[in-house]
Amino acid sequence: MTQVSEMTATALESQLIVGATLFVLGVIGFLTRRNLILIMLSAELMLHGVSINLTAFSRYHGNPQGQVFTIFVLTIAACEAGLGLSLILSLYQRRKSLDVLLWGKLGEDDLPVFTSPSNPTVNVPVDPNAEYPHLSPSGRMPKTQPTTPTKT
Amino acid sequence: MEWTEENGLLLIPLGLGWLAVWLLMPSERKRPRILGGLAGLAAILIMQMMLLPPAGDFVRNGLFFLFAAGSVISAALMITDRNPVYSALWFALVTLSVCGLFLLNSAPFLAAATIIVYAGAIIVTFLFVIMLAQQSGTIGNYDQQPLQPAMASLGAFILLGALLFTLQEWGHIGRPDASQHAMPGQFITVPAELQPNPLSQPPADNPHEIGSLRVLGRSLFGDYLFAVELAGTVLLIATIGAIAIAPRRSQGTL
Repeated sequence: MTQVSEMTATALESQLIVGATLFVLGVIGFLTRRNLILIMLSAELMLHGVSINLTAFSRYHGNPQGQVFTIFVLTIAACEAGLGLSLILSLYQRRKSLDVLLWGKLGEDDLPVFTSPSNPTVNVPVDPNAEYPHLSPSGRMPKTQPTTPTKT
Repeated sequence: MEWTEENGLLLIPLGLGWLAVWLLMPSERKRPRILGGLAGLAAILIMQMMLLPPAGDFVRNGLFFLFAAGSVISAALMITDRNPVYSALWFALVTLSVCGLFLLNSAPFLAAATIIVYAGAIIVTFLFVIMLAQQSGTIGNYDQQPLQPAMASLGAFILLGALLFTLQEWGHIGRPDASQHAMPGQFITVPAELQPNPLSQPPADNPHEIGSLRVLGRSLFGDYLFAVELAGTVLLIATIGAIAIAPRRSQGTL
């Protein structure tokens, strides 16, 4: 086996820079992409950047704890992927599309949609069979005549 | 002025990187994507020149730059590709490059585990879902219209600049007098009175063996036994939750 001497600080910084770059590229993908699956993949990319940092510090300090933490990161990534995929599948069943902007409106169908000139507008297909809870619109209290309480 | 002379060199690759990501983003209008690719390559080359160690193992540095450049380029192409299937394939390439970096960091077990988990399970599942999503026709071309690409990448590159400036302040990136060894207090050092578990330390005959199954297993099931049990519980709960959330097949096709 070749002599693997202790890691120099320059090598550690190179690894930290690669990790930071991967993390930032993941942030960009998370913010800009509109595909739900690509958003999840960008989150995984951020986890990759963190894992590089952890293994680099593990080698720098010469103990296995960074790698143990990377194993935990891997576990959480697997949990996140499973839960996220099932959520994406159930969201896809509702709208038949993976566009995240279709889920930008959480209000009721008769309320106005928030539009911004810089954002692309989407037409949300209305599911006629869906049953959503309908809340009474908020506002000032309507004036009512004082009435006697009705007997039930 | 002194500060700009010392740290201003980092602004060039950051600006070039921002330009590259913005130009490579899919958009309605025609953008010069080749120009974006050239800007990204220039940013990576400048960054590599600033990182170049004065001396060292040639093979090791070459492998490091190969894997680092591969992971960064694949990640940039993954977040800018128009086709989500290609994005997933670029993500597989990112995973392979990151596993190469793990190997360089003497973590062979971790590299194998990451390849098995990501490339084996997640990528296949994601390709499955992407193909399901595209077979019934999509509403609108949402993959060609990213959300606020210029502002999002500008903010993210400001974050990267902050990280790099912090590293430069504490380390010596791009300094000509970059010494080979860490200065005391450069990074957080372990307190002397904190005695590690002797079972989870690397063996005495090979003190650099930190990624082998023996050392990792002793550390996992010795120092971190409670955390391992918690991780198992989290996996179980995530499995139950995924089964509960996933839509039933009896309602029709996915």
